[in-house]
Amino acid sequence: MAIEWDEEKIAGFREKLRQAKALPTLPGIVSKLTQMVEDPSVSADRIGRVIAKDQILAAKLLKLVNSAFYGFPGRISTVSSAVILLGFNVVRSLVLSASIFEAMEKTVVGLWEHSLGCAAIANVIARRLSINDPEEISTAALLHDIGKVVIRENLAEEAAVLDEAILGENISLYEAEQRILKINHTQVGQRLCRHWNLPDRLAEPIAYHHEPKKSANHYVSTAIVHVADVLVRARGFGFGGDKWVPALDHNAWAALTLREEDLPGLIAEAEEVLVELRGFSFEIQTLGEKCPPAIES
Amino acid sequence: MQAIPLTLATSGMTLARDILREDGIILCGKGTVLSVALIERLKRLGVQTITVEGHPIAEEGEKTLEGELADLEERFRPRTGDPLLMRVKEIIKDLIVTSWQ
Repeated sequence: MAIEWDEEKIAGFREKLRQAKALPTLPGIVSKLTQMVEDPSVSADRIGRVIAKDQILAAKLLKLVNSAFYGFPGRISTVSSAVILLGFNVVRSLVLSASIFEAMEKTVVGLWEHSLGCAAIANVIARRLSINDPEEISTAALLHDIGKVVIRENLAEEAAVLDEAILGENISLYEAEQRILKINHTQVGQRLCRHWNLPDRLAEPIAYHHEPKKSANHYVSTAIVHVADVLVRARGFGFGGDKWVPALDHNAWAALTLREEDLPGLIAEAEEVLVELRGFSFEIQTLGEKCPPAIES
Repeated sequence: MQAIPLTLATSGMTLARDILREDGIILCGKGTVLSVALIERLKRLGVQTITVEGHPIAEEGEKTLEGELADLEERFRPRTGDPLLMRVKEIIKDLIVTSWQ
């Protein structure tokens, strides 16, 4: 059966993207937190109280912080201690991930798990390389496929056409997007980052995780997310949109100063966190249902 | 080892990881063999997920070992020309085989 799609509608989506109309707005709480950071008199405690007002969000944030991929020795039980321990930027991006993924985890569980797995492996690699702020790289990894969410939300019928092309022609989702939509999820992700004024540290890995060499200022973070994406798909954890392992950029691999002998240890370590994440994904998905409604104060 | 919801735990299963309370205190150590009474206690303590030895629960839609290995081959089909990724495949293959033993 020949695959048909609506060129006009797709062109309309690209136009809407240009005008930033197809992009979700930044959750109010994140804008508020961004304003707060500019005020030097704001304490971690006050930031914690703002986040804590949204109980489901706060619970998800604490789950994320205490989950396998941040690996703190003790448990972090309050939002303000998370702010102190992780730093404001990390907490802001975590709040961002927790709120964006709220919609996503219910509709596209496979993609949510793929993203969680990628974040976990990126964290394992970042820690091995003793990089500052491994949490921020995890957050970039958690959001690396956010463009796929935007595409699915705007072009639900066309997403089915993409799926058909992947299976019928044995091409990756990335190739199907290029061919049919003439825009791919990394470009959509890049526009979203710009629209939200996300820092380059997050935007570059999101924009260039398929082509790390294009990353000008944050090459190592981008290379980590690239390799983590390849490894999580190699393991078959979650579902990234098609079943194949993406091509590995050997320069990106070399930039991480990892050797082939490091692979067994790295993969075994990643497996440990993935096993833990299987349970975590199930828990966080049911969390919203069990939490009491947010209390206004 | 396999991570399973506590609701699917049965007596005789062995813990592959410590069960931790929110504050990091160990509730139940790795290697413990579960009993009906212990499972009930853990439920009352609000534990949701545990990690056990072996692969006791066949999850919904989950493959057999043969199915998992066939999927692995298919995932790497476009990458057979990359020796480094072929090494990754072999390591993951060992891991899958071990997890089914």
